[in-house]
Amino acid sequence: MVQNIQIIILGLALGGVYALMASGLTLIFGVMGIVNLSHSAFMIVGAFIAFYAFTLFGIDPILSIVITMPAMFLLGIVVYKLIFARSFADPAKRSVMVLMTFALALVIEGTLGFFFSNIYRSTSPSYASDAVIVGPFFLPLGQLYAMAMSIVILLLLWAYLKYTWTGYAIRATMHNRTAAEVVGVNVDRISMLVFGIGMALAGASGSALSFVFSFYPSKHWEFVAILLSLVVLGGMGSLLGALIGALSLSVVAAFVSSNYGPTWSPVTFYLALFIILLVRPQGLLGKKSGL
Amino acid sequence: MAMIEIKDVFAGYGIGPDILTGLSLNVVAGRSYCIVGPNGAGKSTLLKVICGQLPPRSGSVMFNGQDLAGLRTDEVLERGICFVPQDRSLFTDMTIRENLQMGGYILKDSAEIDRRIEGVLEMFPVLKSRLGLAAKTLSGGQQQQLLIGRALVLRPKVIMLDEPTLGLAPKISRQIFDSMNELKAAGIAIIVVEQNARMGLNFADWGCVLDLGRMVFEGPSQDVLSDERIEQLYLGRKRQTEAAS
Repeated sequence: MVQNIQIIILGLALGGVYALMASGLTLIFGVMGIVNLSHSAFMIVGAFIAFYAFTLFGIDPILSIVITMPAMFLLGIVVYKLIFARSFADPAKRSVMVLMTFALALVIEGTLGFFFSNIYRSTSPSYASDAVIVGPFFLPLGQLYAMAMSIVILLLLWAYLKYTWTGYAIRATMHNRTAAEVVGVNVDRISMLVFGIGMALAGASGSALSFVFSFYPSKHWEFVAILLSLVVLGGMGSLLGALIGALSLSVVAAFVSSNYGPTWSPVTFYLALFIILLVRPQGLLGKKSGL
Repeated sequence: MAMIEIKDVFAGYGIGPDILTGLSLNVVAGRSYCIVGPNGAGKSTLLKVICGQLPPRSGSVMFNGQDLAGLRTDEVLERGICFVPQDRSLFTDMTIRENLQMGGYILKDSAEIDRRIEGVLEMFPVLKSRLGLAAKTLSGGQQQQLLIGRALVLRPKVIMLDEPTLGLAPKISRQIFDSMNELKAAGIAIIVVEQNARMGLNFADWGCVLDLGRMVFEGPSQDVLSDERIEQLYLGRKRQTEAAS
């Protein structure tokens, strides 16, 4: 019993971080209808920013989100303007945009590999390898802090979407792009903003990733299938769905890891992705036409 | 004097052919219009051109002497032209109140929007008791009322409705036309594309018959209804059918 609760705690802690990682991906899909395969590559960019902020200036990776989020937001706006804005306006090109995001991921990986080489890195604040013991339970501080950071950011995102006019417009565009346009939402501007916010969330995820995992430029491929399985389970375009998907699949993966070894843990996500697409392609909270 | 002047407009989608092929129409303030015609005549396309969703390839759309060409939908809305598309374009997972608030999105003044919503709810009392419920919980007719109510939050000068009774039972359709009659009485110009051409023409002051992207006839609705040639070509041979039965 104690062991099972321990596994659930570890699974939930990791699931909180995955939820933050998946939030940007599902937000961009919800508004633009694009599966952004470069999302996790942008997370690695964020991780590199956090890494150098820590090693060069001693900035704590959690605090580094004040750098990674605005920097990645601006990068997102530039990328949107250069690559997606024109293609997005042309319906014929929309179908190939997923390939463009794949190409973008390769470009980011190649650029990072060229400048920083493919060696393992991680930031090492004191809490990253620390833990607290509460009764019979072992709580790794690094994962707990990362989960707490994720929860705070996701709550702020939720409040922004729920209580601001721009948040209304984003939600409206996610629900029905044509209807949003009809009531006067400038959907092109909202798409650009959401792409920027998605990248800012990737930046924050990178800050968390930098001390929860070790990373290198091509590490992003490991995250692509994991994040896709989370958002597909929850329903593409649903933030709440991404959260549910992240928490539930992470707990399942933790049990698989505990019982069959860590090698099998990623298989949980791949298998889940496969089964969900076969059985319920719209996910738990997604719309049928959403996928 | 015409409030909207549509002059020799050509328009189409993407690289496809022209759907509107030199269409002209004048819309007078406070008058109601019913656009009828066969499938593919360009009825919905005309509304999309007016509201800025589809820029014309050539020709002009003027509103009170101002060219609407190149304006985005939100900029057209600011001038008082609202569009209610045919696909029940509600935010189904958002509440009824949130849907109505989105109707006033371009105003961005919560207090003013809430005041206007109160006015809308007087017209559609069925929505009042369900403000906190998701829009998807409403019936088809109520959803259509919500769509019209959402457009009214902006207090438009012109409201365009694309097939507002599509898929609704006859009784509910009549309720929708009752609501539209209230708008008419309030002096709002109405342009309606209606699949039930007779019902639409009986409601409207002015009938417009489109075919192949052009205006083939326009005039007082009763003239359109009583024109035998138009009746045979575009409205179905009701009189003969009635006589036969």
